[in-house]
Amino acid sequence: MVLEQERVLACSALARAAGVGRGMRRGGVLMLLPEARLLERDPAREAEALDAVALAMLQYTPQVALAEEATLLMDVGASLRLFGGIRALCARVRASLDALGFTAALSCAPTARAAWLLARHGGQGRRQSGRHGGKNGGAQGGIHDDTSDRARDSAGSHAHGSGHGNANGSPHRNPPAGIRAARALRMASLERRLDRLPVALLPPARAYAAWFEGLGCERLGELRRLPRPGLQRRCGRELLDMLDAAYGLCPELFDWVAPPESFRARLELFDRIEGADLLLAGAHHLVLQLTGWLCARQLAVERITLLMEHERGRVAMPPTPLEVALAEPTWRDEHLVRLLRERLAKQELPAPVIGLALEALQVRAMAPPSESLFPEPGGTEEDRMRMLELLVARLGPENVLQALPQADYRPEVANEWVPVQQRVRPSERAARLPPVVASLPRPSWLLAKPIALLMRNHRPYYGSSLKVASTPERIEAGWWSDTQTRDYFIAEGQDHTLYWIYRERIIGSGVDAEPRWYLHGLFG
Amino acid sequence: MFIQYILPTMMNCASIPSIRPAPEALHPALWKASQLARGGARCIDTGHAPLTSQLPGGGWPVGTLVELLQQQAGIGEMRLLRPALQACAERRIVLLQPPHPPQALALAALGLPPSQLLWLKPERSADALWAAEQVLRSGSCGALLFWANHVRGESLRRLHLAAQHGETLFFMLRPLAAAQDASPAPLRLALRPAAGGLNIDFVKRRGPQRDAPLFLPLTPSLLQRHAFVDRPVLTPAAARGLQPQLVQ
Repeated sequence: MVLEQERVLACSALARAAGVGRGMRRGGVLMLLPEARLLERDPAREAEALDAVALAMLQYTPQVALAEEATLLMDVGASLRLFGGIRALCARVRASLDALGFTAALSCAPTARAAWLLARHGGQGRRQSGRHGGKNGGAQGGIHDDTSDRARDSAGSHAHGSGHGNANGSPHRNPPAGIRAARALRMASLERRLDRLPVALLPPARAYAAWFEGLGCERLGELRRLPRPGLQRRCGRELLDMLDAAYGLCPELFDWVAPPESFRARLELFDRIEGADLLLAGAHHLVLQLTGWLCARQLAVERITLLMEHERGRVAMPPTPLEVALAEPTWRDEHLVRLLRERLAKQELPAPVIGLALEALQVRAMAPPSESLFPEPGGTEEDRMRMLELLVARLGPENVLQALPQADYRPEVANEWVPVQQRVRPSERAARLPPVVASLPRPSWLLAKPIALLMRNHRPYYGSSLKVASTPERIEAGWWSDTQTRDYFIAEGQDHTLYWIYRERIIGSGVDAEPRWYLHGLFG
Repeated sequence: MFIQYILPTMMNCASIPSIRPAPEALHPALWKASQLARGGARCIDTGHAPLTSQLPGGGWPVGTLVELLQQQAGIGEMRLLRPALQACAERRIVLLQPPHPPQALALAALGLPPSQLLWLKPERSADALWAAEQVLRSGSCGALLFWANHVRGESLRRLHLAAQHGETLFFMLRPLAAAQDASPAPLRLALRPAAGGLNIDFVKRRGPQRDAPLFLPLTPSLLQRHAFVDRPVLTPAAARGLQPQLVQ
C-alpha cells in the first residue's frame, strides 16, 4: 500500500479485504497487516510514469498535453479516421495502457476540460466506491474529440495518471478494472452530462465547497445558473474560465508534449528477475514508449538495444546489452515485441536484473507504406523480411542460410551457403554462377563428409553392391588450397537408387594400391 | 469437412425414378467413393501427366499438408517436385531440416534459382516445428519442404492448420515407417526408387484406393539409357468412372 504523510493513500484489494481503508495511519495498518509492504508516495516517479504514458500515447495523436492532477489530454480529432472511429481508438488506447501496466479512466468529449471533468469524475467514482486497485499507477483519462460544429481546436483526450499510487514505480498489471469510458460526442449530450457533475470536481471550487453546500449548489448545472458577476467576485476569474472552457464557450490553450530528440527510456523493475523471458512485460512497456516516440517524430527504427541492468553494490556488473537490428525499419510494436520475445527466450542472464533500458541507436525517416491496388499473394517484401528476422532471432544467424553457389569444380567449394542477412546483390550472385548450370551432373544432396565405402568383390558397397552407371568425371583442381584429384561416377544400387561416388586418385603412399571409394552425394 | 455421399439402395432407386441428379452434379464438394475428389483447394500442376491424373484436384494441393514417405533421401524426390517448385519459384522455397546439405548448383540445374532458396537448420525438433509454423503463417514463401523423422499427431494437425492459413505448397518428407501412423494429411504418397524413375504408392488420397504403385519416369534422367519401352502403358483412372471392384 502507498502512504502519503503517514496516511494510506492507496492499497491493494487484499489489504482492503483485511480492513485497511483510505486515510488510515501507519500504526493501524501494521496492526491489521504486520507483513504489509508500505511504500512512500514518490511524486518524482509518478511524474516519470505519466511522462512514459504520454510518450506512448504519442502514437495515437501528435497532440498530447499533461494536465493537472495526473491527467493527459489528447486531441484525437484528426486521428479518428486513421484508427477507425472513436470506439476502436478507445479500445486501442486502453490496450496500450494495459500493456504499459496502468489502469485508466478514459473519457471523450468535444472540449478538453469537459473530458478532463468526466475522467476525473469516473476516477473519483471509483475512489468513493472503494474499488480502486492498489498501488498501481492508475490513469484516468478522457478522449475528447471535436465532432460538434463548435469547432475550435478540438482539444484532447486525457488519460489521467491518478493522484495516488505508483510509489514503487513498478508497472503493476491488474485486470481491467472496468472503468467505463464516459463518451459524450455531441455538445447537447455533453451539456446534459456536465450539468450532473458535482461542483467539487473543479479545482478552483474546492476551496469554496462549504459555501456551495450552503447555497444548495451541488451540480455544475446549478453553478451555471448562479449570477456570473457575483460568482467572479467571490470565487475568482479562474472558476468561470474553467467552466466556460468545459462548456466550449471560450478557447483553451495547451502546452503539447514535445518528444525528445533522442530516445532512451528506463524502467526499474519491481523485483530481481532471474529468467530472461520474464522481462518481456517490461520490455513491452519500453517498446510502447518507443512506438509513441517514433510516430511523433515520423521515424522508423533500424537498431535498438535493450540494456539489462544488474544489481549494484559489491557484485556490480555492467548491464547486459541485447541488440536487435532490423532489416526493414519499423515503427510498430508487434514485430519488435515478437523479436524481443525470441531473443529474450535465448538470452542467458549472468545475474538477476533490476532494471531495463531501451535505446534507439539508429533511426531513419519513416517510409510511407506502398499500397498496391491488388495485394500480392505472397505478402510484401517487408513481410518476408519480418519472417526472416523472426527465424534468425530464434534459430540463430548461422542456421538460416541462403545459397551463394560459385563456379568451381570442387563440389564442396561450389556449394556455398551464407547467412540470409548478408546482403548479396543479384549481379554478384549471377557473376558467381557457372555459365551453364545444367552442364554437369551434380547431386541435390551433398554429404557433409564423404563416407568411405566398403569393398566387396572389388566393388564399392553401400547397402547393396554398387554398379557404376556413368562415365567418370575427373575433377582435379585446387592446387592452391586443398587439392582434389577424384574421379566421380554415378553408381546405381540394387534398389535403383543413384549415388554419386568418387575414387581417390592419388593415394598417400605407393603401398596402398587398392583404390579408395567414397560416397559423396545423393540424387534427390 | 467432406461428406461421403451414400448411394441410394436399389429399392429407393426404383421408387424414385431418375429425377434425382448424380451426387457429383449437386455440389463440387461431393463425390463418390469411386471417384477422385474435385473442387477442393487450389492445386499446382505436378508436371507429370500420369501422376496428375491420379491426384484429386489434378495437382499438388496448395495450403495443405502433403506427406511424401520415403526410405531415405536422394531417391528422386526433388526431381519429382521440380515442376511444381519451378511454378512457385518466384517466391522463396524453404528447405527445413534436410537430412544432408543441399547442393545449390544441382538445384539450380533443376530450375530452382539459388536466390530463392532458404536453408533452415534448427537445432531442436521443437525449433523446427516452430519454424515451419512461422513460414506457413507468414504466407510469403512459395513452398516449404520439411524433413522430419518423428512428429507427433498433434504437431501434424497444428502444421496442417497453419498450412491452411496461407497458400504455401507444403510437403513433409517422412520415413516410410510413418505410413502406419495416422496423419491428418489428405494426401500421402510413398516413394520408392525404381529403374529410371519412382514407384509411387498412394497411401491416402481423396479418391479410390489404389493398390498398384504408379511408375513415374523422372526427367532429367541422369543416365542416358534406353527409353522405357518395357513398361506397361498406364491407363489413367477416369475421374468419374466406377472402378470395377466397387461395382460387383
